[in-house]
Amino acid sequence: MSALYLYGVTRQRELPQQLADRGLFLVEHEGRAAIVSELDAAPVQANRHNLLAHADAVEELHEGGIVLPARFGTLLDDHDAARELLALPDIELLLERHRNNSELTLKGTYEETILAEVSRPLEPLREAYRRAPTLEAGIALGEAITEALYNRRARDLDIVLQRLEPFVGDVVVSEPLGEYGALDLALLVRRDAVESVDAALEELTKELSPPLHLRLVGPLPPYSFVSLELPAPV
Amino acid sequence: MGVMHRESAAGYLTRAPRSSGLADVLEILLDRGLVIDAFVRVSLVGIELLTVDLRVVVASVDTYLRFAEATNRLDMQAVSNAKGLPDLFGDAEESGAERKTKGAVEGGMDAIKEKIGLGGGDDDEDDDEDDK
Repeated sequence: MSALYLYGVTRQRELPQQLADRGLFLVEHEGRAAIVSELDAAPVQANRHNLLAHADAVEELHEGGIVLPARFGTLLDDHDAARELLALPDIELLLERHRNNSELTLKGTYEETILAEVSRPLEPLREAYRRAPTLEAGIALGEAITEALYNRRARDLDIVLQRLEPFVGDVVVSEPLGEYGALDLALLVRRDAVESVDAALEELTKELSPPLHLRLVGPLPPYSFVSLELPAPV
Repeated sequence: MGVMHRESAAGYLTRAPRSSGLADVLEILLDRGLVIDAFVRVSLVGIELLTVDLRVVVASVDTYLRFAEATNRLDMQAVSNAKGLPDLFGDAEESGAERKTKGAVEGGMDAIKEKIGLGGGDDDEDDDEDDK
């Protein structure tokens, strides 16, 4: 059974040629448009190629105007289903709310030297481990370092959030990935505030780096800020 | 994907205007984005391969021991730097320890990346339904 794969929703517009060449097209309804392509067989494979293709399409389109990106793997039965979706008042609401918005993702990691920094107050445990590097002494020291690292992460997160607060409309905070992960944020910012966020982060690195390294990706479509809780139809 | 990267002067802030790898897109595409239950269905397979073990839990004995060892080694480096010890003895020992610890940490990350890669690689042949 064929279906439409939904990339996202946008305002009525021209589709860039390179997306049309890939089989993408728009289904339009009252000035809004669903970005879709024909899909022969479900389910969709959640692999690298497909995930990046989805991201590429919505990010490319978002450069020219708001895109509400769909969750990966979202299917519509047909063109009518697409138009029904576009007719939802909440879709118009979200398009309007995010008219000038983008998402920036910010990930932070620490250099290994963070361990030396946070373990400075733990001299008795360190001394014990130096003297006799047993399993018990290692676990006791490592556990204390881990706790100190958590505290440091919380402190740095506070500093970053506080510094970005003037430019950010909303934020989603996630657990950072990996042992040296420092922070993982999704920031909702106005398009015209992206440069300010960038500058504020540049300033922050003077304070927090080393050991903190930051990676800023965007401006992206507001992936993390389009949740919509609708009751099922009766 | 023609994504331009640039770095801050000191190199601590890296920018990318677009998502450029699985690490960038996994969370935002699989956990977020528009879902309207009543009008669409989400139908996909392969998520397990992509997300299993992605979240490294820090609080493990393995991590504790690596941290303890790394701290010890960083101490020794600091001491040898401060006192300007001759390189012969100190350095040999340090670099040995460093190799070992780095190996352990990176080994963990490699395992994760491999899993992610597997998810992509396995399915790449038959995944052209919805794009490009």
